[in-house]
Amino acid sequence: MKKRLVLVGSLAIAGLMLFGNGMWLYAKAQLAQVLLERAWARTLHGEQGVKPWRWADTWPIARLQFPRQRRSYIVLAGASGRNLAFGPGHVDGTAAPEQIGNCVISAHRDTQFAVLREVNIGDEIVLQTRGGTTIRYRVRDRRVVRDRDTSLLEASSHRVLTLITCYPFDAIRPGGHLRYVVVATAV
Amino acid sequence: MTRKLTLLILLLIPIAVFAQEDERPLVTLNQVKSGMMLLKTNHQGVYVVAPTVETDVKLQVRGLVLRGEVRQTFRNPESTCAEAIYAFPLPEDAAVDRLQMTVGTRVIEGEIKERKEAQVVYEQARSEGKKASLLTQERPNLFTVSIANIGSGEEVVVTIDYQQNVDYRDGVFRLRFPMTIAPRYIPGQPNGTKQSVGWSVDTDQVPDASRVTPPVNMPGSGRENRLRLSVDLDSGVSLRRVDSSYQKVVTAVVSGSRYNVTLAGGDVPADRDFELVWQPDLGNEPKAAMFTEQSGSNTYALLMLMPPKASTGVRLPKESIFIVDTSGSMAGTSLSEAKNALQLALDRLSPQDRFNVIEFNSMTHVLFNQPQQASPDVVARAKKWVDGLVSTGGTEMLPALQAALLNQSPGDGVVRQVVFMTDGGVGNEEQLLTFIRTNLGQSRLFTVGIGSAPNSHFMRSAARFGRGTFTYIGSVTEVQEKMTALFEKLENPVLTNVQLHLDDPRAEMWPQRIPDLYVGEPVVVAVRFSSPTGRVTASGKLGDHQWNDVQSLQVTGSESGVGKLWARRKIEALTDTGGDVHQQIVELGLDHHLVTEFTSLVAVDHTPSGAPQQTCETRAVPVNLPLGWGGIEGSLPTTATPAPLEMLIGIVLLAIAAVIAVRS
Repeated sequence: MKKRLVLVGSLAIAGLMLFGNGMWLYAKAQLAQVLLERAWARTLHGEQGVKPWRWADTWPIARLQFPRQRRSYIVLAGASGRNLAFGPGHVDGTAAPEQIGNCVISAHRDTQFAVLREVNIGDEIVLQTRGGTTIRYRVRDRRVVRDRDTSLLEASSHRVLTLITCYPFDAIRPGGHLRYVVVATAV
Repeated sequence: MTRKLTLLILLLIPIAVFAQEDERPLVTLNQVKSGMMLLKTNHQGVYVVAPTVETDVKLQVRGLVLRGEVRQTFRNPESTCAEAIYAFPLPEDAAVDRLQMTVGTRVIEGEIKERKEAQVVYEQARSEGKKASLLTQERPNLFTVSIANIGSGEEVVVTIDYQQNVDYRDGVFRLRFPMTIAPRYIPGQPNGTKQSVGWSVDTDQVPDASRVTPPVNMPGSGRENRLRLSVDLDSGVSLRRVDSSYQKVVTAVVSGSRYNVTLAGGDVPADRDFELVWQPDLGNEPKAAMFTEQSGSNTYALLMLMPPKASTGVRLPKESIFIVDTSGSMAGTSLSEAKNALQLALDRLSPQDRFNVIEFNSMTHVLFNQPQQASPDVVARAKKWVDGLVSTGGTEMLPALQAALLNQSPGDGVVRQVVFMTDGGVGNEEQLLTFIRTNLGQSRLFTVGIGSAPNSHFMRSAARFGRGTFTYIGSVTEVQEKMTALFEKLENPVLTNVQLHLDDPRAEMWPQRIPDLYVGEPVVVAVRFSSPTGRVTASGKLGDHQWNDVQSLQVTGSESGVGKLWARRKIEALTDTGGDVHQQIVELGLDHHLVTEFTSLVAVDHTPSGAPQQTCETRAVPVNLPLGWGGIEGSLPTTATPAPLEMLIGIVLLAIAAVIAVRS
């Protein structure tokens, strides 16, 4: 009987911890966006490299809006695993949001970029830059690629916005080799 | 993963531009020529078709004079006619004097013209459907060749000749031949233009960015530029060794002091510098040499004098500032080379020295607020910090140089040395060099070029303006040897105030002001004489000693091309003044048939090329990524959290617990 209690107890605790940790990942993604909104407001007022919290090693560089889906996210500089826990990340080395070229942003399929499954060809995506200007993009293409296909990151002489997330959206296990890509060009 | 991402960044170097409030209209669609490197949104993995290039390099060395012939074969694989634009590197001190275009059996010699005029001639020929080629200089080590009207499936061969003097330092001769252009970081704001086919738009800091940023052959694209190279070497003295630093070569002794060196296995991917090093037999090291060329009433000479080796003097207290480039382009082997070199330098500090370390990428970080005394624990702290450096982001070099050179106060009698480790992968060389020239103060700047294809023009010029030396480290195995040689230069007295006096009053010598010489470095000047006889008197100050040397001029050998080397050195010296020297350079270029910043070579085939030309697409010929850049496969970011999996397992565990609890 006592053995059984220990078993039930440890199973329950382990279950709660895992469940809690998963919830925490989502909560973090939500909470971070609140802090990021504040940092973004300051960025729009002309401050450079505003850190959303004291120990952050990144800063907001753009706002990404999906008008039809009524979603809006603050994009962080750099798409490292740590940054992606808080928000969409701009892939270093691709065109900056203000700049003409191929601007690549990635985010988790199960947090911010879950929105991508609702994005259709022809939808509008709006990018607000640090200068406050907004650039309107129209979705031209959606497709699934292998993670080795770095041609998506190639430079362009036009304004292109490439959004990348993991695929399939409902997969339970992380670390798959497929990516879902939305390509939009400036209107 | 973060590491892979970092490597990915290498594939594309950022333009750090933050648009201002008033966003200007940039390149519009109709300004963009068709066929530029575009993102192929609908054809994933399909690259823009571009003409291919194969390169065959033949170098001939006679004593101190090198003549190079670079033969580029362009093929147009497309079904339409193409204009090929190929940006390629040459040694930074190359005097380019010949362009030859071969179409089938016809050979057309290029003519030297002012840059704008050459452009007009070329464009005229292009619009008339004639075959034409144009060779322009974008940077002293970066040239562009354009070939108009290459028909479908056709082949055009362009041959480019140059002269150069081989480098002699530390008792060894060396020559370098660069094979590719590393993608460069372009700082600044877009200025609204895009003159050429490069991947970058032009910016306020780099107004010709689109001309110096050729697209690259992406790893896995199946495209690769290949190159053959051979050296016919006759140094005039018997040699102890002939070695290639980075490639495998086959060396054959032809006779006595003459060798034939070819790359093993024929052609190689054009992805890193070639370096050949040869060392005279003991006791055969040259003390003085003079190579001449008679041209009309003038005699041109390349004159070399070796100052005596100084005994190590009293060691003066030093202030050493180390700058290390940690931008994305340094990722991988380059950063480990730089870190190793830096660790060696830190180990070498003595406790009475002061030092500081600066790292830069998009941001500049200074290790200590003030230079610190190099006590063992401080050095240990610095070493730990250096160990933890990672490479990421852009190459904003100016703030790092500002941190190193502004507000210097080393104190009396303290030697201040700035050691700068970078791949020089930037497009704003001029801005940086101007800064170094005007802000050097009491410091001396020593550049250490890292990686398989460093920007040698920037390295060498920065050292020249910084009154220091440059060192190349092309592989991890070279770090120890090259850094030790650099330390020797840093620690030995410098030969300053070097003066050369020639008997001939009409002699014109370049450079006119001889730079300070570090241990192992010779005086090398190019002179135009009315008569190359008499004596040369050399003097200088070596630490506390006076150095004097009088020698009668003796011709070591006569080589054609010396006159061009003289003109090339004069052009470099004029450019260095930063003044309005446009007209003088144009005249030198036209007189000596040299490609310069303001003069270009153009060749036009006046034979009608058959069918009237329809649409001729402009295509950039991509360059290879340097070795170590594309070597590791990139990957897209990972974009899934473990949350769903964790929550699922969590729920399953809770469910099991519940079932067990209920059943009991």
